[in-house]
Parts: sequence; structure tokens; C-alpha cells
Amino acid sequence: MKRLSILFLVSLMFIPSVWSQSTDSYDLGIGVRVQKTEQLYWENGFGADFTSDFLLNRKIHLKLSYISSRMGSAFNTNAIKQDNYLIGADWRFRSEKSLQIFAGFNTGFFHADMEIPRFNVLPHNSMLFSLETGLAYKFKFPMAMNLSVGYNLINGNGVSTPGTLFPVFYEMSIFYYLNLPKKSEPKNIPSSNTPE
Amino acid sequence: MKKNITFLFLLLIVLASCSKTPDIDNATMLDGDQIYDPSIANPKKYLISDSIVNPSDIQKNTPVIIAAHGYSATTFEWDELRAYADSAKTFNVSQVLLGGHGLTYADFKKATWEDWQSSIIAEYRKLDSLGFKKIFLAGSSTGAPLIINMVKSGFFATQSTQPKGIFLVDPIIVSSDKALTMVGLLGPILGFTTVELSNGEKGHWYVYRPQQTLKQLMALINITRIDLQNGIRLPTGTYMKVYKSKTDATADPISALMIYKGMQTSVNGNIDVEMIDSKLHVFTRLAGRADVTAADSATQKRVFKEMELKMKN
Repeated sequence: MKRLSILFLVSLMFIPSVWSQSTDSYDLGIGVRVQKTEQLYWENGFGADFTSDFLLNRKIHLKLSYISSRMGSAFNTNAIKQDNYLIGADWRFRSEKSLQIFAGFNTGFFHADMEIPRFNVLPHNSMLFSLETGLAYKFKFPMAMNLSVGYNLINGNGVSTPGTLFPVFYEMSIFYYLNLPKKSEPKNIPSSNTPE
Repeated sequence: MKKNITFLFLLLIVLASCSKTPDIDNATMLDGDQIYDPSIANPKKYLISDSIVNPSDIQKNTPVIIAAHGYSATTFEWDELRAYADSAKTFNVSQVLLGGHGLTYADFKKATWEDWQSSIIAEYRKLDSLGFKKIFLAGSSTGAPLIINMVKSGFFATQSTQPKGIFLVDPIIVSSDKALTMVGLLGPILGFTTVELSNGEKGHWYVYRPQQTLKQLMALINITRIDLQNGIRLPTGTYMKVYKSKTDATADPISALMIYKGMQTSVNGNIDVEMIDSKLHVFTRLAGRADVTAADSATQKRVFKEMELKMKN
């Protein structure tokens, strides 16, 4: 599990360098994600939001996040420690406006830490697949806030999927954007050696 | 605009067409006005506080276990423990009927979870005031969070006798059916839900579950989950054991871990938990089930025996 977390973190760090090869301008937001599951835990963490001109003129946003009850309800309590590793994509309506409406999906991996060996007989790993919709507001400064509601299509029955994977969740994300401009094409500067 | 009005109109028709009053068959259903839980007519048979009003010293020192059934059930759920006790003659069983249960659909609909709990509290108080020294509690399914809440609320600290032990069978802290978490939204639309009962179960469980009671159930298990999250300490000298079926379509088995993590003995020790190889919800109740195996019977007997031995010590 630790290996998965490290891999996830490393992949987050490499995103800017990979996309910086692109000649399109892009927005890369990094920030925090706060999630409350209906009738269950607060699960908080961090995430990234990426869009670019090549993603249908920024109508598509790609997302990556890690949230855990370890940074929420399970912090210093007896709540179950559980981790969510998510990737996803949104379609933005009114993408040119400050206030945008979005709808999309997330997928990924869920793990609940049973902590005590005798409870390992219970299901504690699952694939995640959820639908999510909400509002995004882009401030005049390079920050944005998303408020959304989501539904886990895979939710736990305690027999084949983890019992603490509940269906409905509410989410708030705040991103700081590294709004890098389009890379300029190399200028054709005449040199003295250039033959006339 | 015209499309919106049409959609709203259709939505109204759909909502109006949803019947909010169940079709109750009075002759066969507990929900009706002809079948009641037998403990209402004959409390002496079910409640030790009614049957032993002047206990001798021997009776006061004989263990008595208050058995609380689950949501929408009746005293029937613990009949087999009473039969075992009648045979063993080493302990007595006081089968409480949860408030709002065993009566009619209307009575069930208006009861809160505090009403459900009130009959457990009342029986404990009576036994305590009668001088019983070895009081135990058993809670199946929803009976479990009701008892945990009694511990959390400090109720036992106000009594002269602390419970000697608590047994929880298939406790529900998380529902297996996660649709329950959306009862606030879906409840008013549905009005009630329906359960299928076997022939042997008919007349012992409510068939119709009003959304108001589902909301009460959700509120109770959510409060208990949060209380467990923050930690609950048992009264001095009180033992606790949880028995939980590994496969349970009603009470999510994760409930056992939540109780294990959340409950502590008075000396900061862990409680006992046993994960049972069973697919039954409340595996200690086999009467009325259509598909009981030899392994189910053996497990029931073993657990009853274990409870008996624990009460003897």
C-alpha cells in the first residue's frame, strides 16, 4: 500500500514536466480535496486538475487525487482508516466563464485498513467508479474552487466489496493554478553566418 | 419552458401514483390489528421482572439476561435462547419487546429509536430495583446499538448493579444495504419498504417498514458509529463479546470491527470478537428459517453454551 502511495505521489510530481513538453498552453491546478461521505466519514487529501487547449478548448479537465480518512475522520479516532486513489475526467459547460458547471467520472482504487488480522477476512479492497457533478468557480487570481456531489456506482455490501464504501459523497476542491502561457515558437534570428 | 412544465407534471403523476399506505392483511401480518407479540398478553412468560416479583436470595444471584431483538422483529428472535435456558436451568432470560414493536403498523411508524430502547431500560431498572445481582444483556442486530447507546449515555452508572456482561449478535452499525444511507432523500418518495418473510417468520416481523422508522434506524446507527469513533468505555467489570456472521445481507460485517475498535473495557482492554462462519443474519435464531444447516444448529448451540458458561463464572 505504501508503494502505491509513493507511486501515486511521484506521478503527481511528474505531471508538470510531461505536459511542459506540449506547445499548447495549459492550466495545471494543484490543491486540496475535502470529501464528506453521506452518513460516513470525512476523507481529505490533495489533488491535481489539468486542462489544455488540446482538450477540446479546455472543455475537458483531467483529475488526479488522493483522499483518506487518515486526514479526516480517522485522525486520532477509532474510525476505519481508508484510502482512495482517483483519476477522472470532467466535461465543463460554460468553460469560458468564471462560473462553470461540470459533470464527469472518477475511477481508481479503494483500500480499507483492517488493522487487526482477524478482520482481514472482510473485503477491504475495491475498484472505484463514481459519477460526479457540480460547480467550479475560477477566481480572478489563479485559484479555483469546485463544489460537487458524487455517486459511487460500486458501493460496498460487506460481502464482496468493502462495507465502508458508501454511495453518496460531497466534495470541495481548491486549486492553485500554474497558468503557463503557450510556448512561443523559436524565432528565426538571422545570424552573420547566414548566407545572403 | 413547456418542456419543464411537462416534466414536472409527469413527476407529480409518478409521485402521486406511489401508494404511501401499505396493503395490510390483518389475518396474517403483524402489521395488522389482529396479530400481536405474545409478550403483550402474557408478560410473565417473557419478563423476569413480571414473573419473579419477590426474588429469593438464590434467584437474585441467578444470572438473568435481558435479550433485545432487532428492528421490525419481536421477542420471537430470542425464543430459542429462552428454550435453552429453560433446559439448562442455570440462568433466566427476560425477553423485552422493543417499544413500537409487536403491535400495529401505525404504532411502529410513530415510534422513535428512543422508544425502542425504553423497554430495555425499563426492564434493567426493574431487575436492578428487585435486587438481581447478575444482570447480563444480549442484543441482536439493532438491539446491539441500543445497548451500546445505554453504555455511552452513562445509564448504568445510575444503577446500583452494573451489568456483568453484554453479548452482541450480528450487531448493526453499518447496514449491508447502502441505500439506507439515502433514506432522507428517498424515504418520502417511497413511503415504506417491504420485506419477504418465510412462512415460519410470518406474524413475527413487520412486513412493511415505514420510512420514518428507517430514518430512526439510520439515525441510531449513525450516532452509535460516531460514538464508537470517539471511544466508549464499558462499566467496571462488564464483559463484552461480539459474534458476527462473516456473510450478512443485513448488518455489514464491518460493524464488528467498528465495535472492536470503539469499545474498551474499564481497564483499557479489548473486547472479544468472533467472526462466525455463517450466512445468516442473527445466526442464533434458526426458528422460522427455511434453509437451516447442521452447521447452523451446531453454531447456535455452541454460542448459547458459551454464553451460559460466561454467565456461570
